[in-house]
Amino acid sequence: MTRRLGRRTFLRGLGGVAVALPTLEIMLDSHGTALAGGEVLPHRFLVSFDGGALGADNDPVHNFYAPDTVGHDYDLKTALAPLSGYGNVRDDISVVSGLRIPYGTSPIPAGGWASDFHIQALGPLISGVRNSSTDDYGVNGPTADQLVAEAIGGGTTFRSLAYQVQASWYLTQSAPYGRDILSYRREGDSIVANPGQTSPRLAYQALFTGFVPPDPGDAADLLYELDKRRSVLDRVGASIDALMPQLGTADRRRMERHLDEIRDLEMRLAANPPDAGGHCQMLPDPGEDPAVGGDNASVGGDGYDVNAGWSDESTRARVFADLIHMAFTCDLTRSVAWLMTMAQSHMNIHPITDIPYDLHELGHGGGTTEDMSRVRAWHIDHFAYLVAKLRDTPEGGGSVLDRCALVHLNEAGHGFDPGSGGELSTHSTENMCCLIAGRAGGLDAGQHVVADGMHPGHVLNSAMRAVGVDQDLGEVVGRIDGLFA
Amino acid sequence: MRTRTYRNVAMAALGGTLVMGCYRGTPDGGLGFGTEGSGTADGGSDDGTAETPPENGGVGMVGLRRLSRTEMDHTLRDLLGDDTDPGTRFLPEDVIDPFDNDFTNQAVSTVLVESIETMANDIATRLVQDPTRRQLVVGCEPTGPADASCMEDFVGRVGRRALRRPLTTEEIEGWTQLGLDFAAQRSDFYEGVDTVLRVLLQHPSFIYRVEVGTPTAEPGVFRLDGYEVATRLSYFVWGTTPSDDLLDEAEAGGLDSPAQVAELARTMLDDPRARERIDRFHAMWLGYYALPHEAALTTSMRRETRALLDDVIFDDPRSYLDVFAAGGSYVDDTLAELYGLPAPGSDEPTWVDYGAIGRQGLLSHGSFLSVAARFGDTSPTQRGLLIRTRLLCQAIPPPPPDVDVDNPPEGGDAECKIDRYEEHRSNGSCNGCHELVDPVGFGLEQYDQMGRFRTAEADNPQCEITGEGRIDGQPFSGPAGLADYVMDNELLDSCMVHQLYRMAMGHQVGFEDLRYVNDLLTRFRGEGHRFDAVVLALVEDEAFSYRREED
Repeated sequence: MTRRLGRRTFLRGLGGVAVALPTLEIMLDSHGTALAGGEVLPHRFLVSFDGGALGADNDPVHNFYAPDTVGHDYDLKTALAPLSGYGNVRDDISVVSGLRIPYGTSPIPAGGWASDFHIQALGPLISGVRNSSTDDYGVNGPTADQLVAEAIGGGTTFRSLAYQVQASWYLTQSAPYGRDILSYRREGDSIVANPGQTSPRLAYQALFTGFVPPDPGDAADLLYELDKRRSVLDRVGASIDALMPQLGTADRRRMERHLDEIRDLEMRLAANPPDAGGHCQMLPDPGEDPAVGGDNASVGGDGYDVNAGWSDESTRARVFADLIHMAFTCDLTRSVAWLMTMAQSHMNIHPITDIPYDLHELGHGGGTTEDMSRVRAWHIDHFAYLVAKLRDTPEGGGSVLDRCALVHLNEAGHGFDPGSGGELSTHSTENMCCLIAGRAGGLDAGQHVVADGMHPGHVLNSAMRAVGVDQDLGEVVGRIDGLFA
Repeated sequence: MRTRTYRNVAMAALGGTLVMGCYRGTPDGGLGFGTEGSGTADGGSDDGTAETPPENGGVGMVGLRRLSRTEMDHTLRDLLGDDTDPGTRFLPEDVIDPFDNDFTNQAVSTVLVESIETMANDIATRLVQDPTRRQLVVGCEPTGPADASCMEDFVGRVGRRALRRPLTTEEIEGWTQLGLDFAAQRSDFYEGVDTVLRVLLQHPSFIYRVEVGTPTAEPGVFRLDGYEVATRLSYFVWGTTPSDDLLDEAEAGGLDSPAQVAELARTMLDDPRARERIDRFHAMWLGYYALPHEAALTTSMRRETRALLDDVIFDDPRSYLDVFAAGGSYVDDTLAELYGLPAPGSDEPTWVDYGAIGRQGLLSHGSFLSVAARFGDTSPTQRGLLIRTRLLCQAIPPPPPDVDVDNPPEGGDAECKIDRYEEHRSNGSCNGCHELVDPVGFGLEQYDQMGRFRTAEADNPQCEITGEGRIDGQPFSGPAGLADYVMDNELLDSCMVHQLYRMAMGHQVGFEDLRYVNDLLTRFRGEGHRFDAVVLALVEDEAFSYRREED
């Protein structure tokens, strides 16, 4: 039987435990941005997503998100309240306000959507490419995390990572149909969805697979187990190869994609073990995942079950944040798509706000903009927690955050909805805000920048350029200069 | 999206009232999982003796079907005695639309393949650590780590059951050797078992239902082999992998004729797994598979509906329409109180007559009435939609994009709900569609979102709820009136057959399937609406043993 992947003989197989090599000052060049040997410290990129709007229907207040003051030391309203914590993490995070995604039906503008908010506006938001017609609900270009992965992710164990906090769609009468997908890549002529891992436990197992334990006996067991897994995958791959000629064209395409994933997994298992040591450490096992809650169709009334539509997303988000932190610190990946809540999210928000509604219905008559802002704050708290952890992790002359560009997006702003004609609607891409954290590529973190009329894609473009990827997101061209020092 | 074409085609042919044209607008949106180009029918392995395709057609188009999470759970339970629901614990959520096994909704991703690998490792590791279960699965007592004959025996036997086909000589030799290699490394026979199991559990023929068959004279149409038919049969009737007996039958040619397949299906219906499968079919079809209640109430409701299905379909087999005509139900104290019936005085349910309280059959069960609530109350619109689209298989176009469907109608802030819904009626362009759904929902309005009877709004006692509804111009009130109408007008039976076919075949009904589905309906009606008759008719049709390759 032929092996499709030449299985290399690994250093770890010969020499046992890999020696930890923490980056020491003496190894850096004079700028502290690269190792003295010329090896550049890695850049990291992240897009996180909050599937809600900033304001509530018919509330005259668009948001409690955009600060009143411009520049550094901006004021913190309800949505941004978590930024006062985590060692004043506000200084590491910039707020961009005044953003909008254009819309219209004849023609549909570049980077814009037609008229049906859910979910025509999602594709333009994450890909920068407009709907192809008024009937188009798809995503028509690769997303920023995948552009970055393509450019700088090749050398790492995980070309990119996609995690998903909201554990279920929570409506039994329908399916998400793309509302749960934040990441898309180009594959030939197709744009292919890259769904996130919803299980913290499985994400943990995948991320730390290659870490060699310090005990020589445990280390030997791990090497044996990895060898077994690769041997097994090798056989599975061979079985798919053997099956292929018996399949029709459509099935063959399915199996080719499956085989590609098997080969990628084999490569990840064969990757050199991460240089555990210093700040790169295997985290403790998070244990079993919180139970997945059930249908949330009728939240808000009598007999409402606080457990429906909730799977302890607060705990799940923390585990994922810890994994992302370590994935960046250990340079296991350089690009992450982190879906906190799905577009048009029907997650139960009672456990995080004491308001008996689901996230989506809250905006539609269930609550005020103030209520909505408390839900935004829950998302932003998780983002801030991650940013602070990266800031508190030394690397080179500074911290890991110095080489990060991390963007936090919302599904909607608040204002005019071309679909319904409503002036104060949650179904709006007016008055959008987002966050960008980190200091990669000269980002001037910790300020409020008003970018009137610019597209959220401009923030993603700025973040991409900050990590050295000089590309534009779809039809959205250029960066926001004010974000850079 | 192809699925829409399927649905409309099917209903037109089934004689269901095809509700169309009340509004011309955009179809409902769905983000595609990549675009697939078109292919050609070239899956044949050889051009030898071409089989004859079924004379009267009816062969539906189908691709590789991946086991759903639930199918995976059941398969592992039956294959390895693993009752930890590994599919549900490890694999990504299936798309429910309304069934969980439509192959056109299944997409490959990094997460999927990574999860399958972790799942396989976990299952194999736990198995070899459990001496009792491992003994049952392996089936022989190894003399030592190098016991080649025991390893080969295990590989061949478990391999056949896992992949649902006999293994080739190369496969048996290769995997036996793999097992012996790993057994030798650790001087432990079961290390080899663990390794082989991991291969089997990630094998494409385990993860997917691979149907190859032999080419027929009609390009793109293939005759399935006995094992492939056994697999279709088992996943349809039992929702799980075929048993050894069934595979033995396949090997012996016992599934080569439609009559043989039907005969086997008849015996399979006696297995408890068939009851579970039919319960699940109804729960997914009518949307009550995950109720928004506390566990105890959910259990009571599910038990009630299951008892009625078991009674009508299995224990006292009679017309399936009795599921919608039954004059009593199987209730415990909780449900009796909810329904306003005399309490049986026990947590154990008993059969109770409804009497003249307006309840009748499944449509008055808490399970069904708990579906499609919104805004903390019943939603007449959503209920009407559920009845039109799910119960009657009718197409209702989605609302136009300029309509806010996320809020209940405001109706000029009228005090009573029925007046607020006037907003739907007073606007001509809304009324076109809402006329088809709202009056249907209002006919059930005396039953709240848990199935409790009421005659006035809870928060506005001055707002009377009359429960007067209308469907296709016909007035009705309550579950009894609705059930009688849909049965009398032959809407229900045709839709049930259509939905059952979708679940059995894992795809929507397309042009090619029409003859098949219509014949099922004819037999259902011709045999006194016996549910077992339609199950047997489905597997006895010649087309059941064929597949059409995707184009």
